[in-house]
Amino acid sequence: MNKNKKWVYISALFIIAIGSTAFYIYKEYNRKNEDTGSLRPDYVVTASTIIKEFETDQESATKKYSDKIILIEGYLKDILKDDRGFYSLMIGDTTSMSSVKCSMDTAHNQEAASLQKGTAAVIKGVCAGFNADELLGSDVILVRCIIDQMKNNPSN
Amino acid sequence: MKKFNLMMIAVLIVSMSFGQKYFTKNGKINFDATSANSPEKVEAVNRTITCVVDTKTGNIQFAALMKGFEFEKALMQEHFNENYVESDKYPKAEFRGMIDGNDALNYSKDGTYIVKVKGKLTIHGETRDIESPGKLIVQNGKISTLADFIITLSDYKISIPGLVGDKVSKTAKISVTCQLELFKG
Repeated sequence: MNKNKKWVYISALFIIAIGSTAFYIYKEYNRKNEDTGSLRPDYVVTASTIIKEFETDQESATKKYSDKIILIEGYLKDILKDDRGFYSLMIGDTTSMSSVKCSMDTAHNQEAASLQKGTAAVIKGVCAGFNADELLGSDVILVRCIIDQMKNNPSN
Repeated sequence: MKKFNLMMIAVLIVSMSFGQKYFTKNGKINFDATSANSPEKVEAVNRTITCVVDTKTGNIQFAALMKGFEFEKALMQEHFNENYVESDKYPKAEFRGMIDGNDALNYSKDGTYIVKVKGKLTIHGETRDIESPGKLIVQNGKISTLADFIITLSDYKISIPGLVGDKVSKTAKISVTCQLELFKG
């Protein structure tokens, strides 16, 4: 009887272990990117500061910011909308060709519809790197962006 | 006076050459490497593409940051960046090429033109010659470009582990969509 009980316990533990592992694998496999809105920023920085950091030393800025959650403060230079209605926001100094390009998170895309060019905004997103381009101006790229705050003070 | 005239001609030539460039910083790439029998989609979208087309020469180029590709599943995205394309080591993909038969295209006339695009595609630090049929749509002074590139992943030294071999195809379809505007430099 004791021997049987022992086997029952071992079998139960084995089933629990297998079940837990399978559940963990299933959950991990189907894991989605966390909503940026619920993530704490690793850095809070102005658009002009982060652009300057990348322009001055791309390698160290990439090490510092890549994959990190960034809260960007700056002026909305432009609001881009693609053929499917997805918004990207260009943040930065209007006198410079370079910007922080914030590609909106699909779940928060419509929040960008109410924005106006020339207003100040605070945007949170994940840094995907720096796209250096001599002709078009070099941009810091943020993806999965959300609007953290909208301000209505006019630019400059 | 002669100097002034020469300067004016130079300014005109420079402005004309800039006037023939069209660009976007908001292009899109759809990436699809789903294996034929896989029930699961191996797809991603990147909405941070820069693209420049010179209508005079037919030169076309576009660039994408690898970390700009967004997958539905976070684990797939992590494997893509860390194991397959090694985004930290090779952060950018780039295409530099030409629109074949550009001289025959009339960019001042609205219409849809079927074209062939030829050039060099660099992914994962590997550069290969590639060509693809594409579509160029001219409408109200704006140009839209659409092109599908089929690449063999092993050509770009991207190796797929056997464990996911039934889900990830040996080839990938890269669909590039850009709505270009006149570059006013």
